[in-house]
Amino acid sequence: MKTALKILLQLYLKLITRLVLFTHRPYVIAIAGSINKHFVKEEIARILKAHGSSVRVNPRSFNTEIGLPLAILNLPSGYNSYRDWLPVMAKAFTRIWQFDFPKYLVLELGTSDPGDMKYLLSLVKPQIAIITDISQRYLESFSDMDELVAEYKYLAASIPPTGRIIANIDNPRIRSLSGSSPTMTITYGTDPAADYQILSYEKTGQGQLIKVKHPNNVVTSHQINKFGRHHAYAFLTGLAISEYAAVFKEQL
Amino acid sequence: MASRYPDVISLAQGIPSFDTPGCIKRRVERALKRGVVAKYSLSPGLPELRELIEISLSRQNMDYDWQNEIIVTAGSIEGITATLLAVTMPGNEVIIPDPTYTSYQEAIKLAGCEPVFMRLKEDDNWSLDIEALKKVITEKTKAILFCNPNNPTGTFFKRSDLLAMADLASKHDLYLISDEVYKDFIYDGLEYFSLAHIKELRNRVIRLFSFSKSYAMTGWRVGYLHTDDTVAREILKVHDTLVTCAPVISQYAAMGALEMGEKDLGNYRRDFLKRRDLVCSRLDELNEIFSYSRPNSAYFVFPKIINKKILDKFSLTGESISWNLAKDLLDKVQVALVPGLAFGPESEGYIRVNFGRSEEHINEAFDRMKKYFSIL
Repeated sequence: MKTALKILLQLYLKLITRLVLFTHRPYVIAIAGSINKHFVKEEIARILKAHGSSVRVNPRSFNTEIGLPLAILNLPSGYNSYRDWLPVMAKAFTRIWQFDFPKYLVLELGTSDPGDMKYLLSLVKPQIAIITDISQRYLESFSDMDELVAEYKYLAASIPPTGRIIANIDNPRIRSLSGSSPTMTITYGTDPAADYQILSYEKTGQGQLIKVKHPNNVVTSHQINKFGRHHAYAFLTGLAISEYAAVFKEQL
Repeated sequence: MASRYPDVISLAQGIPSFDTPGCIKRRVERALKRGVVAKYSLSPGLPELRELIEISLSRQNMDYDWQNEIIVTAGSIEGITATLLAVTMPGNEVIIPDPTYTSYQEAIKLAGCEPVFMRLKEDDNWSLDIEALKKVITEKTKAILFCNPNNPTGTFFKRSDLLAMADLASKHDLYLISDEVYKDFIYDGLEYFSLAHIKELRNRVIRLFSFSKSYAMTGWRVGYLHTDDTVAREILKVHDTLVTCAPVISQYAAMGALEMGEKDLGNYRRDFLKRRDLVCSRLDELNEIFSYSRPNSAYFVFPKIINKKILDKFSLTGESISWNLAKDLLDKVQVALVPGLAFGPESEGYIRVNFGRSEEHINEAFDRMKKYFSIL
């Protein structure tokens, strides 16, 4: 009974979400990876908001088959309560005619089982995919790393040629993704081959000071008021999006 | 001792009356079904949990790197013990408030150090006494260990006092070990503040949190600590030696708490506030027996025994008055409370009441005590 209701709920949310996305046609930026999705998402949202754009991101871990539609529709979860789900389902329908639907959706996509990515991409069609990391973290439901990597290959292949893939080149599994999509890839990391390369980190009292080499070989310094290298990586994705936005104004 | 009495109502042990929320149990069920709980995690904890902790801290304006500065512990007391063993040397002194959580003294002794007490100001709702602190700092002092909100007084220390304490710590090069397991239960519109908010203090502040109280998970034994990577690295060595890692199944429970436990936490906060008011009104009925400061946080109140008849009766043996009263209450009416003696040498003559229990239990316990005191 419970499983049947969950399937019905999932179908209902999928239908409404597709209708909403068809009606409002937001620009979708997808973020996938084993770690650092949250901080990359926050950084991208910060950059877009600084450009004066309206942005919606998924809250907490709303990045799965039920959570992602809720994030897009900006609705809470009813979790395990039938009573709490009823108003959520009623409100979902009204989102089709929402006047102030945001221009950008910055969405984490979670994949913990084979086929998850395919399902999530049946809901959203991202123009940009950011792949932060691939590790053994959610490997338990996959037969091996290759099967897990196939989820990310599916994402890369789904990005249209007019879009971009932004990838952490320091991760060998992500490096191996190149060639799985005709879409242009912007890379970041400490690897000298990265388009946005971290040349140095220095811990400071307020966070860290990093030096970054840009694709045009210009080197810039940035103070990041957060601790941990993952924030430096998140910052690079923001730089990549920011410069891409400057070049492709009509698209972003 | 209380467990020997079948009809006992315990307002003693600091455990909440609630069961672990369903959303947390479901998260654990899912992990069990996936077969991911049988193996050790990395010593500092599951990466996905530590990343969630960093996100949670970031929402509270505390910036710590999950990869190098956050350690998941087997409850906060394991984190405290590992911290003390890492940052002190045998023979050092560690300052703790009086009154404060009982187990601190033992953890300090376990590290070969000596607990030194600084008396809190009862007449100012048990606030920190900076002058008293100055007097107990010596060349041997290595750290100040405190819980905020404070157990057993239910006091949330003032920002100005915490900052004054931090100034002294900086001056004397001391660590500040801040145990904040009750930080989600702060009442009366007080604003939460932690010394871990101040980046300049990050290499001397070790902040600890436990899921036990906020998410009704005392039996799961899971919490975390965070500090600058230079300090965390040393604590991790001890943590690894003590427990290898926190129980992995409990780490998944902690993930469930951070992902989905917000609503339940809000409900607990609301219920504890109601119970705080109930306990205070019931204590007001016993105003010839006790005087007390109204707690502004946690779920404890620490009344002073003021009734002369009781003081005379229980001081006859020459033993602890609070101990004798607690024992007599247990014997005669099966109500369990904790004698003040347990919380520090100057805390004799007080008794701790835990209002984490249900309203029904609180009322029944006070009905019994009222009857007991009426025939005394």
